[in-house]
Amino acid sequence: MRTIFLASLRTFGRRYIAAQIAVSASVALIVVIGVLIAGARAGIMAADGAPYRKADYVIRAPKDDPQRRPSCCPGTLNTAAAIDLIARLGENASGLGRVALPLRRQDGAPLRSGNLRDETTVGPIANAKELRWQALVTGRLPAGIGEVVLHVWDANAMNIAIGDRILVGEGPTVAPLEVVGFVESPTTWTQASMYVTWRQYLQWRDHPTFHIGSVAVRGKIGRLPQGMTAYAPEAYVTESLARLNNGTDALALLLLLFVCVALFISIMVVANTFSILFAQRCRDFALLRCVGATKRQVTSSVWREAAVIALVASAAGTLIGVALGYGLIPLVNALAPRTPMGFPRFPAFWLLGASALGLVVTMIASLVPTRRAVQMSPLAAMRPDVPVDIHTAPGRFQLALAVALLVTGLVSLAFAMIEDSKVLMVAGGASVIVTILLIGPLFIPPMVTACGTLLGRYGRLAAANAARNPRRTATTTTALLIGVTMTTAVLTGLATWRTAIDAHRDTRLPIDVALTSLNKPISTTLLTQVRQTAGVEHAIAVNGAVARMTGLDAPIPVLAARNAEQVARDGGRFTKVAPGTIALDLDSFASRGGTLRIRPGSRVTVRVGNRQADLRVVLLSGWGKAGVIAPETLKLLTDSPEPHVIWARGSRGANWLQLVDDLDELADATGGTIEDRLQARAAGNRQLDVLEWSALGLLGISVAIALVGIANTLGLSVLERARENALLRALGLTRKQLRQILAAEALLLSVVATLLGMSIGIVFAWVGFETFVVRALRAATMEVPWISLSVVMLVVALAGLLSSIIPGRQAAAVPPAAGLLLD
Amino acid sequence: MIGQRPPAPRGGLHSAEAADVRKDVFQTPAASARALTKTFGRGEAKVHALRSVDLDLPRGRFTAIMGPSGSGKSTLMHCLAGLDQADSGAVTIAGTDLGSLDDDELTIFRREHIGFVFQSFNLLPMLTASQNILLPFELTGCRIDEAARARAAHLAEALGVANRLAHRPAELSGGQQQRVAIARALLLSPDLLFADEPTGNLDSAAAAGVLHHLRRTAHELGQTVVMVTHDPVAAKYADDVIIMQDARIV
Ligand SMILES: Nc1ncnc2c1ncn2[C@@H]1O[C@H](COP(=O)(O)OP(=O)(O)O)[C@@H](O)[C@H]1O
Ligand SMILES: [Mg+2]
Repeated sequence: MRTIFLASLRTFGRRYIAAQIAVSASVALIVVIGVLIAGARAGIMAADGAPYRKADYVIRAPKDDPQRRPSCCPGTLNTAAAIDLIARLGENASGLGRVALPLRRQDGAPLRSGNLRDETTVGPIANAKELRWQALVTGRLPAGIGEVVLHVWDANAMNIAIGDRILVGEGPTVAPLEVVGFVESPTTWTQASMYVTWRQYLQWRDHPTFHIGSVAVRGKIGRLPQGMTAYAPEAYVTESLARLNNGTDALALLLLLFVCVALFISIMVVANTFSILFAQRCRDFALLRCVGATKRQVTSSVWREAAVIALVASAAGTLIGVALGYGLIPLVNALAPRTPMGFPRFPAFWLLGASALGLVVTMIASLVPTRRAVQMSPLAAMRPDVPVDIHTAPGRFQLALAVALLVTGLVSLAFAMIEDSKVLMVAGGASVIVTILLIGPLFIPPMVTACGTLLGRYGRLAAANAARNPRRTATTTTALLIGVTMTTAVLTGLATWRTAIDAHRDTRLPIDVALTSLNKPISTTLLTQVRQTAGVEHAIAVNGAVARMTGLDAPIPVLAARNAEQVARDGGRFTKVAPGTIALDLDSFASRGGTLRIRPGSRVTVRVGNRQADLRVVLLSGWGKAGVIAPETLKLLTDSPEPHVIWARGSRGANWLQLVDDLDELADATGGTIEDRLQARAAGNRQLDVLEWSALGLLGISVAIALVGIANTLGLSVLERARENALLRALGLTRKQLRQILAAEALLLSVVATLLGMSIGIVFAWVGFETFVVRALRAATMEVPWISLSVVMLVVALAGLLSSIIPGRQAAAVPPAAGLLLD
Repeated sequence: MIGQRPPAPRGGLHSAEAADVRKDVFQTPAASARALTKTFGRGEAKVHALRSVDLDLPRGRFTAIMGPSGSGKSTLMHCLAGLDQADSGAVTIAGTDLGSLDDDELTIFRREHIGFVFQSFNLLPMLTASQNILLPFELTGCRIDEAARARAAHLAEALGVANRLAHRPAELSGGQQQRVAIARALLLSPDLLFADEPTGNLDSAAAAGVLHHLRRTAHELGQTVVMVTHDPVAAKYADDVIIMQDARIV
């Protein structure tokens, strides 16, 4: 059998190229994901793990520590105990933590940059060289009390040079410090704007935000004080990583789902390749059986062929994946500098897993076609007609199975919506897809024929060609259909999610930018200036008064807005408060260090001058540090309301960062302050964008594999139809016409797949909507992104046309005489 | 097995041994069929391909089965060769009842006892002529040894295709393809060589060459040869002629 095996490989090897591309692409996809995950892990170890790199132990509070110290930084160590421990271990211990302190120049001039307003974070630098994780850029590290190094970014932002003197802290703990150098430090929770010696750091030990989060230790610890646990550095970082991963679980699930889709489509493309090739070679197999090859001999020969194909494809896929993955890491680093990736060692597990999966997928795909080929009676060799696909129509068993699957699939989907069950949804979706695969030969060829008549003469011929192998056509189409279904579902799902999130955000963040001026009323000049700032769609001045409220130390403006609908994203609904109540922005008051001590429903006294009102508190969010009251209430408090706040709305598509900067400058110049919700909005949009584009990119690979499948089916069918094509050519069909027939066939397959896939995809999206979105956001409605879907349709149809180019050239290259002589 | 014998001198196909075999030509038949019946289809479309056919094929002779198209010749041959199962009746070859063998046993039996030449598509297109000739040997799972090579070369020489051995079937003429097929069928010295319309696709000169070689095979090698044909000219080369009509031997 070796001779046959080798000769088959030599003769038919090239016909497996499409199958190999499919397998290679899937394997490469998995390897790329593996490399990127390993890269992210290495990046996190390099960043989060930096302070512990040379340590033997990390000491931190146990996870279920009952007494959590400062509310800003939960889960930190008992400060006194940690300081004692570090004192005992001396050089071998490095305390890690931060304290937030006021900051001024020594001459009293304020220091500010961006969001940092006269405040800075200070961290300690380890005594032992080995435990220092900050990298010196210029100057030197602090040697004792009175010296400080700045993070080079902060130094640049605040315009501080080496040798400058700054004042850090307040009152009795204020420290004059000389800047002796600049450092860089990785983005970890221990990162601070400036670093001082441990002794200096301890001077602020009584400050409310002072904390020691963990201690890195070299060598032995000795007795561990109560309320502390020691970890190995690797384990500590891995655990932090796990906490981080909780947030990305959904992403991992999505990745897994897309890899499964790619694999499934590959299986179909490979199975189709084997089916077609074996159908073409069935007379070879029959002849072999005639001259005495047992079934097992034929099977093992075919399997060895499949194994070689799989090995070559998996190896190629792994290589491509490694190259792509490692190539992507610098690209990701360039595009997203906030999440640095490291260069990982070879993720052996992923590489081996992906290759093995490629092998398994190919072998599974060859199973059914091989069984069919071997079941062939030896007599088939002697029949003069060429038998093509053997099992074309689904048998009774397949039909029954299909009906059962369809029913269970639909029932699962229904229950998924009622019970909000993800598992049922995926299971139901998979059942429906398998149903299509099973009974596709029944309804896909008629659809192709129906569409073919629309395409005219070539369409009819092409449809006839496509309809003659229903099973083959159905499998080819279904592979693409699945890709389109998933793409449609994801696009529709994300569009719906985005609309729902937008609506939700509009009520939570009604005002984009609020400019507050407590000291003096807003001038009309300022309002005009704000309105003329680039990126401002509209701005209004809101009347009110500056008030003092029980539970708050600082005065706040209380406002009664009459025309908020001009700028508010929720249509001004948040300003419609009942008389006798005051609405407060929960986020604004909660964000600055402490929590708001005022509970919803509690009563507060609001005083303006010598008038006062007793009001009930309503907590809402999204307009900054101001109380919103009814006009009636405002009348009680003051007779001459004045504008103290401008509310502005950013226009769509504007550069929001720039806009916030510009307004900040205006506010600074007039002694006001601004608060904005635009950055939160932009960050949310960016996240959705990243999700959408990664999902589309991953699905694009699946769709590309399916399109390779179309090219493959056409290419192999062309070989089979060489004689017919030669006859057509002999009868006067031009090369161009022959190519057009094939192009029409490819177009028909891709259009039918797209139409079916989009219909099913929208249904799936609806199920997903009922299962996920409605549960999260009650008021959501489903959005079908018709424009994106039309683009997908156009792209797939064009790609389908493109896939007919190579087969068309092949077919047209055969001279009629040569075609007629072929056996 | 003849496969292990040394090649005979040029010009003769083991004529001395052939003479020995001929002595017991009429003692046991090479193959026999009893009450073979086979139908295709059901109800209205039911077709009788064989109606209770009895047949003994004598050893070492060249027998032609003749008859009009559709008379059941091919079906008879398929049943005799174990390629198809009769509805009822028994086929015995070399003392073995084919009905008692399962698919694998039947395949191995075919490999060792029966050779085939078909009207067309005799050779695997991806193998060279010599690889095609050696195919039955390869299927036995033995290493291809010098003796097998020598026998293949000898058969190729005798059938006049020795200079085409490195070619693929597509590069051979129809007559050459049929002669390569005969060489392959003879490689393991089967008890029976079946040929179904071996000259159906050939011009008369090529056909004459193939028929000539089939007859030499019977006469000089003592090989039992059964040929199905509807061509009376082809039948003239045979020692015995069996006529079939309407699914019966007449
Ligand atoms: N696979 C088959 N299915 C249905 N009918 C068949 C089949 N094979 C042969 N027959 C029928 O059986 C009869 C005998 O056929 P066959 O043995 O091929 O005849 P011959 O070889 O003499 O031309 C014919 O009527 C033919 O139509
Ligand atoms: Mg016949």
